[in-house]
Amino acid sequence: MSKNYRILDLLRRGRTPLENHLIDGLIDGRISRREFVRHGSLLGLSLPLLGRIGMAAGFGAAPSLARAGAPGATIRIGSSVPAAAIDPVTIADAGGLVVMQQVAEFLCVDGPDLVLKPALAESWKPNADGTVWTFTLRKGVKFHSGGEMKADDVVASIDRLADPANSSNALSVFTGILQKGNTKKVDDYTVEFHLDAANGNFPYMVSSDNYNAVIIPASYKGDYEKSFDGTGPFKLEKYTPKVGASFVRNDDYWGDKALPDRTEFTFFTDIQPQILALQGGQIDIINQMPVLAGVALLNDPNFEIISLKSSAHQQLHMHCDEGPTKDARVRRAIALCLDREKLVAGLMKGRSALGNDSPFAAVYPSTDTSVPQRKQDIAQAKQLMESAGLAQGFKMTLTTERYLEIPEYAQLIQNWVKEIGIELELNILDQGAYYGDAVFGKSNWLDSVMGITDYGHRGVPNVYLAAPLKSEGTWNAAHFKNKDYDQLATSYIAALDLEAQKATAGKIQKLLLEETPVIFGYFYDYLTATAKGVTGVQPTAMSQLFLEKASKA
Amino acid sequence: MVFLGGQVLPGNVGRAILGPFADQRAVDALNHSLGVDRPLLVQYGTWIWNFLHGDMGTSYIFRAPVAPFVIDALGNSMKLALVAFVLVVPIGILGGVIAALNLNRPLDRIISLGGLSVTVLPEFVTGIILILIFGVWLRWLPIAAAWPKGAGFFTQLYYLILPSLPLFLVLFGYIARMARSGMIEALDSDYTRTAVLKGLPWRTVIWRHVLRNALLPTITVIATQTGYLIGGLVVIETLFRYQGIGSLIFTAARGKDFPMLEAGILTIGIVYAVATLVADFLYSVLNPRIRLGAEQ
Repeated sequence: MSKNYRILDLLRRGRTPLENHLIDGLIDGRISRREFVRHGSLLGLSLPLLGRIGMAAGFGAAPSLARAGAPGATIRIGSSVPAAAIDPVTIADAGGLVVMQQVAEFLCVDGPDLVLKPALAESWKPNADGTVWTFTLRKGVKFHSGGEMKADDVVASIDRLADPANSSNALSVFTGILQKGNTKKVDDYTVEFHLDAANGNFPYMVSSDNYNAVIIPASYKGDYEKSFDGTGPFKLEKYTPKVGASFVRNDDYWGDKALPDRTEFTFFTDIQPQILALQGGQIDIINQMPVLAGVALLNDPNFEIISLKSSAHQQLHMHCDEGPTKDARVRRAIALCLDREKLVAGLMKGRSALGNDSPFAAVYPSTDTSVPQRKQDIAQAKQLMESAGLAQGFKMTLTTERYLEIPEYAQLIQNWVKEIGIELELNILDQGAYYGDAVFGKSNWLDSVMGITDYGHRGVPNVYLAAPLKSEGTWNAAHFKNKDYDQLATSYIAALDLEAQKATAGKIQKLLLEETPVIFGYFYDYLTATAKGVTGVQPTAMSQLFLEKASKA
Repeated sequence: MVFLGGQVLPGNVGRAILGPFADQRAVDALNHSLGVDRPLLVQYGTWIWNFLHGDMGTSYIFRAPVAPFVIDALGNSMKLALVAFVLVVPIGILGGVIAALNLNRPLDRIISLGGLSVTVLPEFVTGIILILIFGVWLRWLPIAAAWPKGAGFFTQLYYLILPSLPLFLVLFGYIARMARSGMIEALDSDYTRTAVLKGLPWRTVIWRHVLRNALLPTITVIATQTGYLIGGLVVIETLFRYQGIGSLIFTAARGKDFPMLEAGILTIGIVYAVATLVADFLYSVLNPRIRLGAEQ
């Protein structure tokens, strides 16, 4: 399709240099349409506008997946038991956050395609260097308790999370980015975030990607389970801890009214009973299904699997400051033993993507795909061991958690590294014992010479780049200290421009391949199973589940 | 004991609630607000003091009073135990009696061998097989044991059949075997021979002389199983999504939720004590020698 420069010029008018640079990238073919839409949404360009630019640049109309189903259904969902009292400030588990997200909403939503979509905020914009982000709020949004959602509520909700005195689970996201008091009301419908340092991906930190960041009334004083207040398309009908929750349509919702009359969540402590309940027709949806547990459903024509590409992964860390893995050559040798194609196809039944020993998953538009993929190469691994003076091999312990497919993954690694003379003893622990107090010196996770840790999905790699890999990172289980890396990570996080992000990403990817403090073998998909005939269900890889368009045949 | 044991385990409450990736400052703040950063003795003292005043405390994890959780869970557990009990005790004893009366004949072999074979199968295996047959293929019985709110007696019973079946299978062989050996011993005894020689009808001999003596060890066995039936069903409760006291204690222990853990374990302790008391009482009803001994 040809490019329509006249329309493009019209659309460019009044855009910032940063936005125009992005549009140029699309026209010149330096970035793909998907990258363009995603990064454009991050910079606060509206989706219809991005669509018009895409059309004018000769890409045709964006495919529309929306298909209206029949209203009035009762949708029954199986999900894991909320691990603690549901409270936006402290919540940390999938079972709890999916319940909270039914009633409470975010400023913007990180969709399944990692494109930010406006929710309670209509639009957002950075200043020139990305240190101040201004959000314009939607007007006429009502809390279930009656009041209108305004800037004061946003300021209070975010400040509450940024306050170190509040047991906030979002503190690990906001530390070094946003401090209490730096979320400022401009007027009733405009809020400014004054950041500690430039941040090109900040909108993700106040999107559904930061699952604590729901907007609730400024007057909130704790005990969320008493009110379940929010602005969402559903209102709470009943919540019974450990048992389940039900919701009904909110007829005062600001957007399209929800299709289902009711939704019913049933809590399960284990995945197997959920699968049996879906097979027995007692639930319609399993919110999150690990691939190994769900093998029976993957090829069953009676069920549909929604498979979301995600950045969730298992990090295999190796201490860079002690033992044989102190030598980067040994770490590279171990990484070269993994048969990643086999991991993806066999262990993960094709529901995962190759990892290349950095947090840059294929789903991220900023990932530099020209960096060569690391493949199994035993000969080279043996050579590296020899040059490190360890040709005869050595013994070490791999400590990890009993969770998902990790024990099986550990066994595969144990077999693979045997080929280069490394004898791994597996120490597989209960999750509580593995994480311990989660501080250095009191945690098997952070203190083990070698370990495997599960990391949940994030819409942008910022968190993965900082806490587990930066020299002072609080989750730096590899004890990796590298000044060049720290600088690169900081400049990646600060970059506003997609091409600048990509250039830095490439450098980080190469540096991490060379150093290999952490092996990223694969990035696993987020699976949701539904009974046939259930449509309009929209999960996110953060374990949220949007049900306002759900219907049953 | 539980209190001290729990302190030795790694991790702390704040960490258990906020997860491994939470900021340490947040964890400290939460531990402070829950009061678990106070000295151990102070925590223990406060807890004991409140407990003696009828306050079971507030759950760290659910931030709500413990008592309703424990009472609900205990009620649920007792319902399930009762259904399993009503199913297994008469049928188990009957099986044992039939086996003993048909000693070494095919019927005895079937009951003894069959009973033992299902007893050795763990309940999560039989549970899944039963769910697949009755819940997924035939769809006769509901898979989850949680009945709808406000369900009547028969609906609740209907929901409890499937989860009580694996318990039945686990206990049947055990009880039948005890009853069988008690019967064999009693049938072989002098008093039975005397009773038969006295010319009493066979039915009366079995009912008044044999069964009474044969059941004594069986009752002891049943009493010791009550604790298991009420507090030890973590696997069954998980599989059938049932809110019993076993899984309540299990999750409390994992989350280091001490008020919940203490209250749950204390409750089970009381149930054990009551069950043993009832067994002793039944024993004395069936065995006049003990009664007389007490009176002397």
